Amino acid sequence: MMCYIYDGSFEGLLTAIYETYYRKEHPNKILSITDYEKSFLYKDVFIDTDPNKSDKVYNSIKTKISNQTLKHVFHAFVSENEDSGTWIYNYLRLGWKVGKKLDLHLTDDRVLAIHNITRKVSREIHYMQGLLRFRKIKNDVFYAPFEPQFNIVGLLASHFANRMSDQNWIIHDVKRDIGVLYNQEEWVITNINLKGDITFAEDEEFYQKLWKEYFKNIAIKNRINPKLQKSNMPMKYWKYLIEKN
Amino acid sequence: MEILDKLKILADAAKYDVSCSSSGSSRKNKKGGLGNSHISGICHSWSDDGRCISLLKILFTNYCIYDCAYCVNRSSNDIPRAMFSPEEMVNLTVNFYRRNYIEGLFLSSAIYKSPSYTMELLLKTVKTLREKNFNGYIHLKAIPGADLNIMREAGKHVDRMSVNIELPSNNGLKLLAPQKSKEHIIKPMGLISSKIVENVSERKLYKNSDKFVPAGQSTQLIVGATPDKDLNILTLSESLYERFNLKRVYYSAYVPVSKHPNLPQISTPPLLREHRLYQADWLLRFYGFKSQELLDSKNPNFDIHFDPKCNWAIRNLHLFPVEINRADYEMLLRIPGIGIKSAKKIISARRVGPINYDNLKKIGAVLKRAKYFITCQGKYYGETKFNEDNIKNSLLANSSDKLNITQGEQLSLFSLYPNLLPLPDILTKITGEL
Repeated sequence: MMCYIYDGSFEGLLTAIYETYYRKEHPNKILSITDYEKSFLYKDVFIDTDPNKSDKVYNSIKTKISNQTLKHVFHAFVSENEDSGTWIYNYLRLGWKVGKKLDLHLTDDRVLAIHNITRKVSREIHYMQGLLRFRKIKNDVFYAPFEPQFNIVGLLASHFANRMSDQNWIIHDVKRDIGVLYNQEEWVITNINLKGDITFAEDEEFYQKLWKEYFKNIAIKNRINPKLQKSNMPMKYWKYLIEKN
Repeated sequence: MEILDKLKILADAAKYDVSCSSSGSSRKNKKGGLGNSHISGICHSWSDDGRCISLLKILFTNYCIYDCAYCVNRSSNDIPRAMFSPEEMVNLTVNFYRRNYIEGLFLSSAIYKSPSYTMELLLKTVKTLREKNFNGYIHLKAIPGADLNIMREAGKHVDRMSVNIELPSNNGLKLLAPQKSKEHIIKPMGLISSKIVENVSERKLYKNSDKFVPAGQSTQLIVGATPDKDLNILTLSESLYERFNLKRVYYSAYVPVSKHPNLPQISTPPLLREHRLYQADWLLRFYGFKSQELLDSKNPNFDIHFDPKCNWAIRNLHLFPVEINRADYEMLLRIPGIGIKSAKKIISARRVGPINYDNLKKIGAVLKRAKYFITCQGKYYGETKFNEDNIKNSLLANSSDKLNITQGEQLSLFSLYPNLLPLPDILTKITGEL
């Protein structure tokens, strides 16, 4: 059995998929180096990332299959699921066979695997558009720490750049030490290493207090329903919520 | 009074308003501005009762000249009162919005001094927000009885406007809210809906003319404070959707907030009834059902054991079982356990190959209900004889709705209003979507 190993980047994964066609090989697994463990069952093939090759695959997905498929592939990739590389590979192989209609094959396991994981990723993106909390820190910068399950910080950037276009902000994925910085004109993804405490702006505590008070008073006491609250708003997201701390 | 105290009082007073939806508008941000709206709406939190918080839902003031029996803010009620200024309201909204606490503002008010005076204050608030380049979602309550010109002006600035119909019948209004009349409620609804239609055709000619209430109008009514039957309520909703093109009718289970000889005495809000009404409401708006199909004068109230669609299917067994591979979209939607998403998926998947029973599960259909009403490639999977009694029993046997309807202690309530069945917690999902 054969296993392809790429460097963990999206370009790396697409390069690996390019190589399977170029070398006419059918690896059983495509793994990111971060998930790789030596196993004597597999013959390991390490792939060197090559932007030219990954571009070719990227364009081929777009033109020969569809933009929707491209989005699915990227969302599956940021899920950082150990199997996502393999799933994407199998999904795309079917895609190049059936073309534009790939995402209609809703009963095919290869399509299903991708749709299931991308549904989870999209759901988290949508959750975070609502549950992210900015704190105003000194110099009028709005800072939002969070720990998403998937690597979605880049997928949130354009939403907040459109919405909070007149303020400087930072969205910080604390788990992965990366973040998006925005300066009222453009945003960049970068590594973030915060040391020391953050100083809040003067009025920050006041608004946090107001928000907590609002949150407390808007609930109808005769209808208290913690189970419903938790099923709508998973507890894993509570850590950074002002109103829940 | 401190802002914090005002917020406490006026948020508390607004909590019985059901709507929190922030969907249906795609207002874009302007250069250097703050905020936009998301077409499907975004929930920002869920309060301890499990309801979503999307908008800053608040009253401008709870000083009220009216004395409606069912309402906490009635003038005869001895509660703390407060009032914001438009500037305070604007400040609060913008600062909450910048921290991503909210999707926008849902501003309502009790009637201070006069309907028109109150409406002026609300107009001033939303106008100031827009002048400050705030482009987030605004839902404004129109005050019944206010000058229609003020409402027309306000409609240019907000995304959604709503007039509460409060009670399902004119009799109910007379009994519990004698100072409000149906005419005062229907008039602004008519105005808003005709202005929306006018604005749509206007915008075809002049692209830059302001949008008028782009997310449409909605209303809300209280369920269980009057003896109205589900049938009356549903027909009312249906006619509101048809006549005024309403986006939503919200139902709010009556929460006992006061004792009044004209009000029923109940211990808990009729949540299951509210839930069933929402289910039926969805059937009207998205599933192509008519109210007459779901209820009639012989069965004027919904069944507690079966959801309205299941109930309809059981009464119309001659239309079933339906072959999944051949039925059209409209019929697929009528199968219990198959929703809009799975019906669409079935249509998609059928284009590339036949669907078998296992596939259906993968697609996301709720087979524990659907299996009694379908065939897959000609085979019936119901594991029971195809007749009304058998299907009913099987559905009941594996129903996951944990409705432990304890009889006895609640019998006293039946004598007053048989529809007021207080029941344990039922998941009523009122999400920001749709």
